[in-house]
Amino acid sequence: MSQVLHPIEQKILKTLIDRKNLTPEELATVTKLSLDQIRRGIEWLKFKNLASVVESEQNLVTLGKRGTEATEKGFPERQLVNHLRSLDGYSCEMNDVKNLLKNEFGPAIANAKKNGWVEIHENRIMLKGYHDATSEEKIIKTISKNPTGTFLEEFEDKDAVESLKKRPEFIVVSSKKSALVNLTEKGMETAKTVPDNIDFESVSETSSKVEPEAKVVRAIDVEAAAPIIFAAKSHPLRDVIDEVREIFVSLGFSEIIGNNVQSSFWNFDALFTPQDHPAREMQDTFYLKDVKASNIAKPDQIKKVSDAHKKGWNYQWQNEEARRLVLRTHTTCVTIRALADRNPDEARLFSIGKVFRNEKLSYKHLAEFHQVEGVVVGKNVTLRDLMGLQTEFYHKMGIKKIKFWPTFFPYTEPSLQSMIYNEKLGKWVELFGMGIFRPEVTKPLGIKNPVLAWGGGIERIAMLRYGLEDVRELYENKFGWLRSVPKCQ
Amino acid sequence: MPVVTLYFDRIKKILGKSIPKGKIIDTLPFIGLDIEDETEDHINVEYSPNRPDYSTDYGIITGLQGLLGIKLGMPVLKIKNGKFSIKADPSVSKVRPYVTAIEARNGKLDDETIRQIITMQEDLHNGLGRRRKKASIGIHDLEKIKFPLYYKTVTREHSFIPLESDISMTVKDILEKTETGKKYKHILEGHAKVPVIVDSDGKTISLPPIVNAKLTEMNTKTRNLLVEVTATDKNAAEGVLAVVANTLQIAGFELYSVKITGAGISTPILKSRDLVLAPELVNKTLGIEISNPLIVKSLNNSRLDAKLRGKKIVCTIPRYRTDICGVMDLVEEVALGYGIQNLVPTMPESVSAGERSNTTKTLETVRSLMIGLGYLEVMNFELTSKEILYDKTGRESSKIISVTDSKSQEHIILRDMLLPGMMEVLSRNIHESYPQKIFEIGTVFEKDSPIKEKIHLSCLSAHKDVNFTEVKSVLQSLLKTGFNLSCNTVPQKEPMFVDGRTGSIVVNGKKLGSLGEIDAKVSDNFKLRTPVAGFEIALEISSNLD
Repeated sequence: MSQVLHPIEQKILKTLIDRKNLTPEELATVTKLSLDQIRRGIEWLKFKNLASVVESEQNLVTLGKRGTEATEKGFPERQLVNHLRSLDGYSCEMNDVKNLLKNEFGPAIANAKKNGWVEIHENRIMLKGYHDATSEEKIIKTISKNPTGTFLEEFEDKDAVESLKKRPEFIVVSSKKSALVNLTEKGMETAKTVPDNIDFESVSETSSKVEPEAKVVRAIDVEAAAPIIFAAKSHPLRDVIDEVREIFVSLGFSEIIGNNVQSSFWNFDALFTPQDHPAREMQDTFYLKDVKASNIAKPDQIKKVSDAHKKGWNYQWQNEEARRLVLRTHTTCVTIRALADRNPDEARLFSIGKVFRNEKLSYKHLAEFHQVEGVVVGKNVTLRDLMGLQTEFYHKMGIKKIKFWPTFFPYTEPSLQSMIYNEKLGKWVELFGMGIFRPEVTKPLGIKNPVLAWGGGIERIAMLRYGLEDVRELYENKFGWLRSVPKCQ
Repeated sequence: MPVVTLYFDRIKKILGKSIPKGKIIDTLPFIGLDIEDETEDHINVEYSPNRPDYSTDYGIITGLQGLLGIKLGMPVLKIKNGKFSIKADPSVSKVRPYVTAIEARNGKLDDETIRQIITMQEDLHNGLGRRRKKASIGIHDLEKIKFPLYYKTVTREHSFIPLESDISMTVKDILEKTETGKKYKHILEGHAKVPVIVDSDGKTISLPPIVNAKLTEMNTKTRNLLVEVTATDKNAAEGVLAVVANTLQIAGFELYSVKITGAGISTPILKSRDLVLAPELVNKTLGIEISNPLIVKSLNNSRLDAKLRGKKIVCTIPRYRTDICGVMDLVEEVALGYGIQNLVPTMPESVSAGERSNTTKTLETVRSLMIGLGYLEVMNFELTSKEILYDKTGRESSKIISVTDSKSQEHIILRDMLLPGMMEVLSRNIHESYPQKIFEIGTVFEKDSPIKEKIHLSCLSAHKDVNFTEVKSVLQSLLKTGFNLSCNTVPQKEPMFVDGRTGSIVVNGKKLGSLGEIDAKVSDNFKLRTPVAGFEIALEISSNLD
C-alpha cells in the first residue's frame, strides 16, 4: 500500500521536483502555505526519508550607508567622471572637484585613476578613455534590488566584492544560518506520483464528523508523529516508597506512623545511646531552637531507661538532655515507642517516614530522607529469621544476589548489614541494616521477647532504580524528569 | 567512620602466615570492616568507632588471625613491673583527675608504624576520649624524661616548647594561637590553673589534653616509649591505655607498668574480665544448633578466651575490648567467629496479616484524585529557608521554628506551609511547557506546646488563563469525589493571594486552608511571568502517635 501523504507534504514534494536548495521561507513563498505548515511538512517528510535538510551557513550581503548613497548619486569616481563630462574640454582644476566631492575626493580620484578614466597633469584633471559600468557598480546595483540581502556566493567577480568590502560602509556581509531542503531519491520518486490537483479541502483532521451520508473521509497519515502530552502522575520517589510499603504489608507487617519531631528520650535515650555519644552532637543532629519537650514518657519508662544508662555507661543521666527536641535521626524512635506503649508478645510493625541528619548536601548525602524500618517481636525469632525476611524483601524488589556482613549499631546486637549486587554498577552496594534490639534497650521498656529490627534509606533504592548518580536529583522537581521518567523500570 | 590504611607487605609480615591477598580482602568484611578502596599495594578500610582496637593495622590483623585460624583466643598483655612512677598532685582533681601510664621498651619505629600509632591516637581521642574531653593520650620518647614525673596544675603563664614549635610559649599563647590549642581550649575553660606533666628536672613534657612538648617527640630512632593517659573518667582512661598497650605489644614492644601515686588514683592493671554465657542464648538468638565446643571455638576465632564450666561457658575478655558490655555482645562474637556466611536465612512464620495505616490510605486517595484531576506530584524538603518561606511570599514570620547549627543555609526552618516551596518548584521550571499543574502532600509544623505536626495538601495551576474558579473547581471536586464533603470559600486577606480573589476554605464550619490567585508581586519574587492560582488545605489527619 502506498504511503498516505498530507496535502502539505504533497505540495512540498511537487515544488521540489524542479527546484533545489530551497529554504523553508522560500518554500512558503512558492507554495503559498504558512511557514508553520511548511516546517511541519518538512519534519514529516524527513521522518519518512523523502526529503533531506542541510543546515548551512551563508553570507548575506546588504548595502551599507555609502553603498545606499552610491545607488542614488553614483560612486564618487562616477560623480567625478560625470562632472568632467559636463565641462568644456573635459577637464578642470583639482580644487574645483575637491569642493564638489568633499570627503569623497580622495577615493574618487584614486578609483577613477585605477579605472583609467582620468589623467592628472599639473593640478588639472582630464577625462580619458571609456567609462563603462564597473563590476563594483554592477554588484551594488544587484544588492540594491534585493533589500533582504544577496548571497555572497552569487557574485562571480570575487575580486570586485573584495575591493568593495575594503571600501568603508559600502557593503555589509553577515552570516545567516538556513536550512536547505531537497528531495531524496525516494522523495523524487514519490513526488512524481503526486496528482496535480492537491485536495486541501480535508486538511483538517477533525473533519471526520460521524454523519452517515457524509462523503468518505480523507485518510490521514497514521504514521505521522503526534504532539507529546504528559500524564499527571505520582513522584518517582513516591512510587518507590509505595512499593516498599506494599512489600512490608505483603510480608505481614502493619504500618505505624509517628512524629518527625521527637524528644531526645525516644530518639536516643530509649535506644541506649549515652548522652555524651558523638551521634548526639549538634554537628550530626538537628535540634530545635528554643523549645523543649514537656512530657517525654511515662515516669516509669524514664526511670528504668535512666537506670540502664547509669548502670551501662556509668555517668550522671540528665532529664534535661532527654527533653531536647530533635528532628528524628531514624524511624526507630517510632517503632521502639510503639513497642514500649503496646508491649506486644508477638507483632510485625513497620514505619516509613522522613529522617534528618545535619549533613552538607552532596551527591551522596541529603539533610533529610526517607527511611523504612520494620520490627518483628516473637518468643522464638532468630537472627536467621531476620536474614530470611531481608532476603524475601529483596527478592520482591527484584534483587537476587544478597550477602550479609557484620556491622555495628548502638542499639542492636548482633547487627548485620546487607549487601546487594547491582547489575548496572557491576558491584556490591550496601543497603539495609538489621539487628536484634539489645536487652539494654528492651528490658527497661518492659519488652520481654526478642525484637528483630531492620531498615534503611529509601532514596538509595530510588537512585539504583532510576540510575541516578546524584541523590539531590530526587528533590529537584524538574518537570523534564518528573514528566518523562517511566513508571515501570 | 574512621579509616585505616593496610599495606599488604605489612600484613604479610605481621600476620605470621602467608595468605593470598584475595582471601585477606574477602575476610576483612567478616570482622566488621567496610572496604573503602583498594590499590596494588594497599587497601583502605572503615571501622566502627566501637572497635578502637581496629584503629591500626596491628589490631585488624589480630582480628584476621582469628578468622583465618592463624592465632586463636585472647592476646594476653604481658606487663612486667617497671621502676618508674608518676606522682599526681591533688590539685588536678578539679580539672582532669585521672592519670595512668605504661612503658613500652625495645621496639622499632619506622615511618609507617609511627603513622599508624598517630592515627590510633587521634581515633582514640575522638571516640573513647570523646574529642579529648573524657581522655587523651601522650606518647613520649622515654629517654628524654627524667623520672619520677609529676602530674600537677600550673598557671597559664607557665611556658615550654610545644610540638610543632621552635620557641617556648606560655600556656595562654598555646591555647590562643596554635591550631590544637584553639580547637580544644574549651575543655580547660573555667579553670585558672591547667594540668601539666613535668619531669624531675622541671621540664614540661605534656599539657593535657592539648599538646605534648617538643622535647619528647618520638622519631624512627626512638626505641623506648612512655604512654600516658589523662582523663575525666577512670574507665575511659584504662580502656584507652589498654588499646594502646595491646597495639604496641603486637608491634614488638615490651610493656612495663608505671606506678601512679596520688589521691584517688591507682596503678592501672589492665586486667581481663570474665562473662558467663549460656549456650542456649547463643543458639536461640542465632537460630542454630551448635555444640558447646563449637561455641568455644567460635569465641576463640573472635580472639576471646572461653572454657566450659558445667553447662555454661565462661568467656574471658581482654581489657581493650571496651565494646563488650553484656552477654548479647558475646552472642555476636560467636556469630562472627562461626562465620556470618555460614548462617542460612530462614523465613519465620507470619502471625498476622499486614495493613497500611489509615493515614496512608487517606493520603493515597487524595493523591490518586489529584493525579486524576491532572496534577503532577512534587516532593520538597521539610526544612527550608526563611527566604522561600516568608521573604518571597510576604508572609508573617513571627512563629518560625528553626534548627540549631544547620550546615546548610537552605535547610534551617521547618515549613509551616507547602505553597512557598511549590512556588519555588514553578520558579525552577519556567522553561518547561505550560500549563503546569502540580501538587504536594507533606508534613508541616506549627508551634504549639511544643510542636504540632499536620499533613497538608497544596496545589498550583500555572497558565495564561488560570483563575480562582478553576482551582475552586478542583478543590470542590476533590472534596466531593473523595470524601463526599462540600466547602465554602469565604472572602479573606492573605499576603500570598490577590485581594478580592482569595478565600479561606471552610469545611463543616472549620477553616482548613486558603485558596486564590497568587499575587503578582509574589509571583515576581519567584521570577514567574505566568499567572498562578492554587490552594492549600489541612488534611484532617493527625500524624500524632501520642
